[in-house]
Amino acid sequence: MAEQTGNTEKQLSDQTDAELYLGLKAGHTNALGILYDRHAGLVYGLALKTLGNAQEAEDLTQDIFLNLIKATAYDSRRGSFRTFVAILTRSRAIDRVRSRSTVLSFLERWRPISHSEKTSQSPIEYLFQNEQSQAVQTALAQLSESEQQVLRLAYYEGLSQSEIARQLGIPLGTIKTTTRRSLLKLRQFLTDYIR
Amino acid sequence: MTWSMSSEHLQLLIAGYVLGDLDPDEAAEFERHLMEHPAIAAEVSQMQKALELSYAPEVEPPAHLRSAILSAAHEQLSVSNTPLAAVKRPSRQFSWSRAMNVAAAVAIVALGINNYRLWQTLQASQAETQRLAALTYSLQGTKAGNGASAIVVVNPNNLEAVLTVKNLPPLPPGKVYVLWTVLKQDAPFTTDSKSAILTEVFTVDSQGNISQTIVVPKAFRSQGLVSNVAVTVEDAASPQQHQGAPVMITNL
Repeated sequence: MAEQTGNTEKQLSDQTDAELYLGLKAGHTNALGILYDRHAGLVYGLALKTLGNAQEAEDLTQDIFLNLIKATAYDSRRGSFRTFVAILTRSRAIDRVRSRSTVLSFLERWRPISHSEKTSQSPIEYLFQNEQSQAVQTALAQLSESEQQVLRLAYYEGLSQSEIARQLGIPLGTIKTTTRRSLLKLRQFLTDYIR
Repeated sequence: MTWSMSSEHLQLLIAGYVLGDLDPDEAAEFERHLMEHPAIAAEVSQMQKALELSYAPEVEPPAHLRSAILSAAHEQLSVSNTPLAAVKRPSRQFSWSRAMNVAAAVAIVALGINNYRLWQTLQASQAETQRLAALTYSLQGTKAGNGASAIVVVNPNNLEAVLTVKNLPPLPPGKVYVLWTVLKQDAPFTTDSKSAILTEVFTVDSQGNISQTIVVPKAFRSQGLVSNVAVTVEDAASPQQHQGAPVMITNL
């Protein structure tokens, strides 16, 4: 990447997320601007949806992007950067919701992991689901309950495979395949919708 | 781009990449597919979109946030390069057209992966270095430096050491003490004719004591290369001449 060190914005914007991430780790702060432009909407959207407060969402978005410089460890071989930041954002947002000791209702919502299948949906999320397009709702409805759950737990809740296995009572060895097949199915039902 | 272009196996690999759960073998296979068929990048993007449409809607953050984050980042990083161009992004309700551009960039993700591996190798070798235990050298006074003693505690990881000297006679003006790292005969380092590397020039206080942090040669990272550590008296103007006999040395 030596010849790219004198980056212009144009050259930077041609780089993959993985390259930008490594560049950022090497001290090229310009890479952060591009990563921000690509993913800030996702990070802010998830933060806002989980925290329900614009100021807190901004604050978390800032934390997520600044932490990319030092504190995070993205493995570009395992998966997409976008999913990495999405799961990181959700996880940090949930941490913040949990630490709001003054808002008991939130605490009640997040603490009981054992039956979070029914309870993890906050009013904000519920609102969002009502705003989901008809196409997405229709596609999701064509997945079985467990297919929806496994996707939700893996991506949206960011749970590990063993946690998902425990919650859903599915053998650990099948979680990965089940999750991938569920996503594949969802993607197929949304084929006409994704352009 | 037609849906039927790829095998289900490949589609599941793509799903795994989007979900971020590829194991190393799968990652290698995915990388190979991606290099052979750059169009897979578009599939990755669409799979990502399907997931996010359902679970993670984008919301445009307030405009001021970008500059706030970037200036905080610049403050955080002392290493700065070319000034950041103030690129005003068009406002976007939905960024998937952009995401398709990103998908094109993902097509050369293999390059990123290769760089990443180099980086990992570097990290691994650094991690190797980080595990080196501290080395302690105890120096005793020779006849010339009777009653003196010194301890050198070396951290091979950052090549810093703490030199603590006791009871070494203060020197007349124009003379200094020199700490030498003496290497084995065939050690692959540049040394003087006495197999020594000038490590630190120092003086002592009126009581003959000193304690200071010094930087030591890389040779301390290779076990067995350092045969001993010694202190001599040298001319302040040319301590590198290494004229003096040891006043303190290890392994007496």
